[in-house]
Amino acid sequence: MIEARDVSVAIGGKRIVANVDFDMRPGEVAAIVGPNGSGKTTFLKALSGDLAYSGQISINGRDLSVMKPVEAATLRAVLPQATTLSFPFTVREIVRLGLVGGRSGALHGEDERLPERALTRVDLDGFAGRFYQELSGGEQQRVQLARVLCQVWAPVLDGKPRYLFLDEPVSSLDIKHQLIIMGIARDFARRGGGVVAILHDLNLTAMYADRIFVMHRGRLAANGSPQDVLSNDLIEKVFDCRLKVGALPPGDMPFVLPQSVC
Amino acid sequence: MADQSIAGAAGVMATASEGDRSGRARIVILFLCVGLVLVVLLSLTSGASDASAVSVISDWLLGAAPGNEALNARDRLIVYDIRLPRVILGVLIGAALAVSGAVMQGLFRNPLADPGLIGVSAGSSLGAVAVIVLGATVLAPFTSALGTLALPLAAFCGGLATTLLLYQVATRHGRTSVATMLLAGIALAALAMALTGILIFMADDRQLRDLTFWQLGSLAGATWQKIGSVGPVIVLALAAMPFLARGLNALALGEATAGHLGIPVQRLKYTAIVGVSAAVGASVAVSGGIGFIGIVVPHLLRLAIGPDNRYLLPASALLGACLLLLADAVARTIVAPAELPIGIVTAIAGAPFFLWILLRKRGVVDL
Repeated sequence: MIEARDVSVAIGGKRIVANVDFDMRPGEVAAIVGPNGSGKTTFLKALSGDLAYSGQISINGRDLSVMKPVEAATLRAVLPQATTLSFPFTVREIVRLGLVGGRSGALHGEDERLPERALTRVDLDGFAGRFYQELSGGEQQRVQLARVLCQVWAPVLDGKPRYLFLDEPVSSLDIKHQLIIMGIARDFARRGGGVVAILHDLNLTAMYADRIFVMHRGRLAANGSPQDVLSNDLIEKVFDCRLKVGALPPGDMPFVLPQSVC
Repeated sequence: MADQSIAGAAGVMATASEGDRSGRARIVILFLCVGLVLVVLLSLTSGASDASAVSVISDWLLGAAPGNEALNARDRLIVYDIRLPRVILGVLIGAALAVSGAVMQGLFRNPLADPGLIGVSAGSSLGAVAVIVLGATVLAPFTSALGTLALPLAAFCGGLATTLLLYQVATRHGRTSVATMLLAGIALAALAMALTGILIFMADDRQLRDLTFWQLGSLAGATWQKIGSVGPVIVLALAAMPFLARGLNALALGEATAGHLGIPVQRLKYTAIVGVSAAVGASVAVSGGIGFIGIVVPHLLRLAIGPDNRYLLPASALLGACLLLLADAVARTIVAPAELPIGIVTAIAGAPFFLWILLRKRGVVDL
């Protein structure tokens, strides 16, 4: 359970996030959407413990502001938008860093094999010996996801759910790998964990998210199921352009078709 | 069928070790250990006295056993009171400089970071020069109270003061900006060098000669007493560094990500900075400015065993010690019976190497 009450974040005197309430339960994929500069990443950073905030944030009932890095690291893993390296690490060495906290939750003695298994899951079989710096942007992003998966390999540890915080996990991926990565997020939630993901693709969001939080100018403009949130009026207003929202069977899954700039 | 499963198992083992360079790193470290022993023996036995490696070893093994005359009294004096302190000091300082370089590079996520670059060495020099020039006048109470400890302590304080000042300038809201720290380090180094310049301007002729030689760097004048005053500092600092290795590895992904992985980043940075100040301050105090060991050694090792600090730090200590002893051997013998300041040797070998790193990396990897 993640609960955020009245969370505001100011950077350099400027309010980037204002009075956001956010709740999610384990078993859910929660998507945060909104235009550029609406405060999505800043809010996720506050949730990750990177930025000072006002208000209350708790993870599994524990107050985030009193948590030490090592405790937070057992509860959640964070995928940043992009990671650059200045040293020639191999892919395996990078993925293995996910195990540095020592609480992957895998069976005893399994940790050494996790990097290969995580790489297989993100469709990077055979990449372990390659140099990270020589990979494409999309491949690097998947390597980082494999690292994040190693950190919280078991979605539930000691009976407590764990969480993935993903900042634009599919932004530089082709369609097949977008589906693979979102499938991993879905699976993590199905097995009892929780996922918070910042996404730009509204259709992908509709396909995979249980709940959508729409941010607009630092505030929460709406939150609810895809069917509730993805309405023409709201989305057009928030993204400031003409969109057509329809529904696809089965289950009336919404889809969003861009039309034109207002 | 059985063949297939064996082949399959072999395949799994091959992939399990793919991209894992820890095995190679262990072998390299083993080789460096052997190399260091050989270089130490070479250093002990080369020079004006003709005591051979065999005679030194047999003297060690037999000690003062009756009838043991492998070393005569003169050779024994040369080996134990002149060469051995110098070799031990060389090992300590070479290790301290190389490990400090590796730690700084990990901390700043920059393969070109070096204690010399961000002003730690300059701050240490300022402290040391102040004691040399003002020791008999303004700082007389300080130097007379501390005796031989005054110089290393002043160098340590100078280095630490520079680093803490730097840290204050570059840290805002509990986070340290690497770019600001590098730039501020250059400014502080310039300031420390200017203040050192003023002190040199005030120095008399005899002090000037001492200063010049000391600034160029040298292991000459190594004594058991000097080892006693700076050795414990360096050994303590070196002993703390391996505990930073895992944190420094995570830091390669950036400070935020290292924190997400559970590393207490601020404490890691603080420990690393104090440790590096202590090791570099102590080194500068006894041997002056010896450059390039801190950049060249970790870089060479990263090519050989990769950037994993769990292996890079011990390997740097060993290779740093080897290279400094070799440089000292060159410095002692190339213009014998006189000797070159060792800083000149490391700079002549290190500076072109540094340029080669830059040329090789140009356009391949962003520095």
